Amino acid sequence: MAEDAGAAQRRWELENELAQPQDAVADSYYHYDLAEQQQLQREKPWSKDPHYFKRVHISALALLKMAMHAKSGGNIEVMGMLQGKVVGQAFIVVDAFALPVEGTETRVNAQTEAYEYMVDFAETTKLSGRLENMVGWYHSHPGYGCWLSGIDCQTQMTQQMFQEPFLALVIDPHRTIAAGKVELGAFRTYPQNYKPPDEPASEYQTIPLEKIEDFGVHCKSYYALEVDYFKSSLDAALLDTLWNKYWVNTLAASPLLATRALGTGQLTDIAAKMEASDQQMATSGRAARFAGALDKKSGAGEAQLAKVCRDAAKFAVEQVKGLSCQVVKDLVFNRPVLPSVRATHAPAVAAHGPGDSAPMET
Amino acid sequence: MDVPKGEEARQSSSGLQFHLHPLVLINISDHATRIRATSGGPSGEVRVLGCLLGQQAGRVVDISNSFELRHELTADGSVMLDDAFLTKKLEQYKQTFAHLDVVGWYASGAAVQETDILIHRRVMAMNESPVFLLMNIKPRQAQKDLPVLLYETELHSVEGMPQFVFVQSKYNVETSEAERIGINQVAKVLPSGNDKGTDQLTAHFTSLHAALMMLTGRLTLLHGLLSKMAAGEVAYDHAIVQQAASLVRRLPAVKTLCFKGDFFTEYSDAMLTVLMTSVTMGAHAVNDIVDKVSIAYDKSRRRGLM
Repeated sequence: MAEDAGAAQRRWELENELAQPQDAVADSYYHYDLAEQQQLQREKPWSKDPHYFKRVHISALALLKMAMHAKSGGNIEVMGMLQGKVVGQAFIVVDAFALPVEGTETRVNAQTEAYEYMVDFAETTKLSGRLENMVGWYHSHPGYGCWLSGIDCQTQMTQQMFQEPFLALVIDPHRTIAAGKVELGAFRTYPQNYKPPDEPASEYQTIPLEKIEDFGVHCKSYYALEVDYFKSSLDAALLDTLWNKYWVNTLAASPLLATRALGTGQLTDIAAKMEASDQQMATSGRAARFAGALDKKSGAGEAQLAKVCRDAAKFAVEQVKGLSCQVVKDLVFNRPVLPSVRATHAPAVAAHGPGDSAPMET
Repeated sequence: MDVPKGEEARQSSSGLQFHLHPLVLINISDHATRIRATSGGPSGEVRVLGCLLGQQAGRVVDISNSFELRHELTADGSVMLDDAFLTKKLEQYKQTFAHLDVVGWYASGAAVQETDILIHRRVMAMNESPVFLLMNIKPRQAQKDLPVLLYETELHSVEGMPQFVFVQSKYNVETSEAERIGINQVAKVLPSGNDKGTDQLTAHFTSLHAALMMLTGRLTLLHGLLSKMAAGEVAYDHAIVQQAASLVRRLPAVKTLCFKGDFFTEYSDAMLTVLMTSVTMGAHAVNDIVDKVSIAYDKSRRRGLM
């Protein structure tokens, strides 16, 4: 009888299997060696290579805290600090805490009172056994993607000068809901007069038209780090059992309703970008063609159209995802109970029949 | 769960509903893991204590956050809380999460201890009826339920003396949308770079499928039980049958015309975006071809070449 439940559980475990052997390693992330960190602080291996840090490991706790804090801010940017340590060329973020600062793009900046709070909070967490130092900051970009703006770059550059090792995380709560995964980026800036040797192909992302200029100007002054997540063995055990209570939420979610505003915004944005690329093509593209030299320059218009396509495709995928939820739920829960089935069995049992056969068919 | 005294196994009758957020669980788990890691070796069995934060609205208590507490064991085995630390922490959380209040406290361990009632009294200074969350940090393998128990206190007269005793209460696991996604991501440890449309879609469908399988499993189980009851193999449990009947009567869940209309609109909207995306992509492809054609058959250039 319980075989299906068992199968679902096994499937879930199978998906988790990749993570299982890592748990032992992950547990070691929780150990903090003061001497080792101080040694690193003295040697400063990161000062020689502007590209020194390559990876970020984020704990389940920090991820959850950041995702929820960012979401609680709504359309307002929120900000907080990261606690962790450095191992080799990677940051390990074990915990995060919120700062009492919020504001629009231009004001996300640690002010004096926030600074006091920060120090105060770090002191108290140390008392409660959290020995890790602050290794970075995070803030949210509600609805416009994970990248560093000009002001963020400035902040990060200053921090990297005086607070090394330091990391910047950006999280987008709106896109998180739409995409069904936490949209998060980890960045470090290059020193002021450093020219990156070759342009590393950074992951493509959708940026609204009104922000694209800010993005374009500064996108070469920082680089993205690889991000992955870890959990302790106890976390893993808890999460495993959590699934037993928690699968309902997967069904109950209706991402389409939750992200309606974002969807409309994205649609408007795509339209605006289309308009822009259309104009560009009408002027530069055709002019170039008439001149008989279809060189790289008119490629800009095309590339733009290609980008619009990608934005649109991404948006469509999100819509389909949201819709599939609704359709499945409609199929499972909204099908009329067939009277013919009801007649064949005793009432209580029979009325149940169509109810539970429905999910099997889907 | 093994409860030492019969008295403590009593179910709460306060009628409060508790909504527990996974963040709290992960937070406690992290606290325990961290203490274990820093105190050296898994043998160092240290009890961790902390404060639960949340909101109460009517009869619903939402437990959504937590922080650690410092405590010391005195010579006689009782627990001394660091009050100054608690107050400070609370102030800090008030600054960032102003809407959260103290709703209770947590501890790790397998069973309620004698001294716990003393800590509970201390927490009562901040909340009239706090809850006590007990998490077993050494969960047995193949355990189906969360190793977490919630307790409230009730005033009972024990041997003529009024006394607080712990009573167990039920709880639901609640998640906000962002939390759910976070949990999903951590539980499956998806690589973050996996942004490709198809992968995302596959992941989504897989989790949907798993949830449906779970639902099917539960229903099959229930169905089996009910058939056995109907056949007389199992004692007829009126409560279960009643619940099942009311569940069935709720199906189909929504059958108003209004819902149908809205659902159809939403469906069409989503389909429309898909269509428009294909049109956009088509336009892009056509544009590409036009450009290539005009390169290949450019009259002016050909003339120039010849």
